[in-house]
Amino acid sequence: MKRFAMIAATSAAALSASALHAEPLKIGIIESLSGAQTSTGRLYANAVAYGVAQINAAGGFNGEPVEVIEYDNAGGAPDAANKFRQAVADGVDIIFQGASSAIAGQLTEDVRKHNLRNPGKEVMFINLGGEAMELTGEKCQFYHFRFTTTAPMRVNALVGAMKKSGDLGEKAYSINQNYSWGQDMQAAVQTAAANGGYEIVGEVLHDVNKIQDFAPFVARLKSAEPDTVFTGNWSNDLLLLMKATGDAGLNVKFATAYLDQPGNIANAGATSLGHYIANNYENAATDGAFAEDYKKATGHYPIFVEGHSAFAVGALQQALGTLDFKGGDINVTSIAQALENTTYETPVGPVSVRKEDHQTIRPVVVSKVVKNAKYPADGTDMGFETVEVIPGEQAIYPVQDSCKMQRPDS
Amino acid sequence: MTNMRNLILGAVFLVLLIAVPPLLDLAWQNALVNILIASLFALAFNLLIGQAGLLSFGHAAYFGIGAFAALHLMIAVENGLPFPTPLLPLAGAAAGLTVGLIAGYFATMRSGVYFALVTLAIAELFHSLAPRLEGMFGGEAGIASMRMPWASFTFGSMLSVYYLVLAWVVICGLGLWAYTRTPFGRLTLALRDNEQRVRFLGYNAHASKVIVFAISAMVTGIAGSLLAISNETANYSLFASAVSSQVVLQTFVGGATVFLGPVLGAAAFALFSFLVSDLTRSWVLYQGLIFVLVMLYAPSGIGGVVEHHIRNRKNLDWSRLAGPYLLALAGGLLIAAGVVFLTESASILFGEEYAMARQGANGGLPAYELFGLIWKPLSFVTWTVPAALLAGGGVVLMRARREIGAIWDSKGHGARPAAKSASMGGAA
Repeated sequence: MKRFAMIAATSAAALSASALHAEPLKIGIIESLSGAQTSTGRLYANAVAYGVAQINAAGGFNGEPVEVIEYDNAGGAPDAANKFRQAVADGVDIIFQGASSAIAGQLTEDVRKHNLRNPGKEVMFINLGGEAMELTGEKCQFYHFRFTTTAPMRVNALVGAMKKSGDLGEKAYSINQNYSWGQDMQAAVQTAAANGGYEIVGEVLHDVNKIQDFAPFVARLKSAEPDTVFTGNWSNDLLLLMKATGDAGLNVKFATAYLDQPGNIANAGATSLGHYIANNYENAATDGAFAEDYKKATGHYPIFVEGHSAFAVGALQQALGTLDFKGGDINVTSIAQALENTTYETPVGPVSVRKEDHQTIRPVVVSKVVKNAKYPADGTDMGFETVEVIPGEQAIYPVQDSCKMQRPDS
Repeated sequence: MTNMRNLILGAVFLVLLIAVPPLLDLAWQNALVNILIASLFALAFNLLIGQAGLLSFGHAAYFGIGAFAALHLMIAVENGLPFPTPLLPLAGAAAGLTVGLIAGYFATMRSGVYFALVTLAIAELFHSLAPRLEGMFGGEAGIASMRMPWASFTFGSMLSVYYLVLAWVVICGLGLWAYTRTPFGRLTLALRDNEQRVRFLGYNAHASKVIVFAISAMVTGIAGSLLAISNETANYSLFASAVSSQVVLQTFVGGATVFLGPVLGAAAFALFSFLVSDLTRSWVLYQGLIFVLVMLYAPSGIGGVVEHHIRNRKNLDWSRLAGPYLLALAGGLLIAAGVVFLTESASILFGEEYAMARQGANGGLPAYELFGLIWKPLSFVTWTVPAALLAGGGVVLMRARREIGAIWDSKGHGARPAAKSASMGGAA
């Protein structure tokens, strides 16, 4: 009996204590944490966890530590829709996601409809990796923020940097995967032709991650005699393409978007030397302070998407710093408005949100694969050496006409 | 008498399905919607495998087609077409029926493995074609719409979607059940058991199979359109082979020989993924283990086991059976605990965080936390616990099985009730 009374007393105390607590900010990571895309999904989740740890080390938000909940979307859009509802039921305020534009497309629609139907209980979505143009075009909306590049930004940066270093040449070839991302890349290569002063000598769109032998494609490539090959290919499609080109003894420069995916450098070996990549962040482009700090917290230098994903949380932290809900209810619309006005200094340059379509204006790092790199990749002696950091204003493209954003009234 | 009781049981169950959801939170309502949709999908699929003996490996095609058809109609409604929202699944039904007739015409020319391969190929065709046809399937990001209000219903809340889905699933489920009672339903069974005789009796076997296939595709299309209504989006991943294989797994785990078996399987799988998928990253492994175990020890599925017990409920001495059954349950739980312990330990020890902790410990093997306790990787205790769980569970389960077998045998039935109606696997 005495024990029961004790339990009752302590739980009552706990209850009243929690009633005094402020509402914590809840972040949901809806990512591919099982299935084929797990390795990439894990990196996004790691980086967000790192960023949130920074917020909490600085005292959290609204008088409480920020909570992070991970949801496994199993790599599919319908599962992501389910997890979104689970997240809403859990009271999540901000959603992060990166691997796959298809899932980003699902989530941004879910967020938009949820906010229409539940005014006052808004949720916002920070997109870390969905690069499909329509997310800031036809599907653009106030509560979606894209904290990564898109195809035109990567291509513009590659063209600018390679032209300056004299590696671009006058004949370009474009080989891409036949879906929205690959088509975006192909369109961007066409658009940049005038500026870059090159002629497109061939264009190919092929099946996504189904081709085992790229020899026929390389034969076509060889007969077109390009100087530079632009490709947005990722995973096996990039690896096998580069290997087939290497086997054919072709002397071309590859201008890529995903050469830094873990495992690529190790697998391609010496074939990858001298090829280019444009991405959001590269350790070698900085003074190394962020890379060391990240390593201290997670055990490894930031790779692939980890750097820019951590900066997205950094930008959020800066936006939260301008707000004070005094321990009361969290107003997500205010957070979104604050994030719109945030310019976050990353180690490679400032990142700010373009208000018209919520694409971030951000620097693009162009690098080249070299031997004896400062930050070796995949346990090899090769790695990325920075060629040029293209500032955001130079890499950005005009707002798409299809974006008609409805802003909240206030 | 039995009929009356079944009717009352069904009515009570329906009342529960109607009365309980308002008391649940959004996540549970969503889970119930998924269970209902998966159930209808599995029921439609089972019309082919369970009734007609045709194993389709590409039902994702009709599921996806239904979803896209409904979504296109939803977009039209959004743009002002006066069409009642609750009737949207009719678009899925029409699309499923049409595609099912065409695909079924070709697929049912062959049977057995060849039939399965043709259906698989048709689904793959949609899967690789869909991302290219931007106008119809919306490319990678898919197409999206919004449920429009109809009459006094806004269809804004999950609950209203739940009731809409429930109504359609109940109606379609009853329709499929009624189908099995019609002469054509009997003919469907005959197609499974002896197609040659059906032909000799003067029926057109091919035409009959096309019709069965199309009906199955039509109901599958309805299930797909219900998903489209619930999610308000659809993209080409609906055509993925994972969707096709999922319904095969659900149907076989639930039991293809019993009408409601697939519903049990679908509910079990959907609930499992809802409850477990955020607890552990190894949930897909557990799901696979459950499938393998069911196929090995109860090939007629959960539904088959349940049905066998119901059929023999009068002959069995339940007071004698209860003890061994509880014992078997305890043994199963012990083994499950051992397996979970080993799996989770492995996923921690080979995981990134642990590698990080090892760096901190200068390459040593630091202790890890699991189930609220601290375990040392090199300690004797850490590995004795799962070993004891597995061994203990194994011994208990063996004993329970012997006792249960003896009781069933004394009544003149097989030791493993499920093994009896195992002919299903061969039907494929």
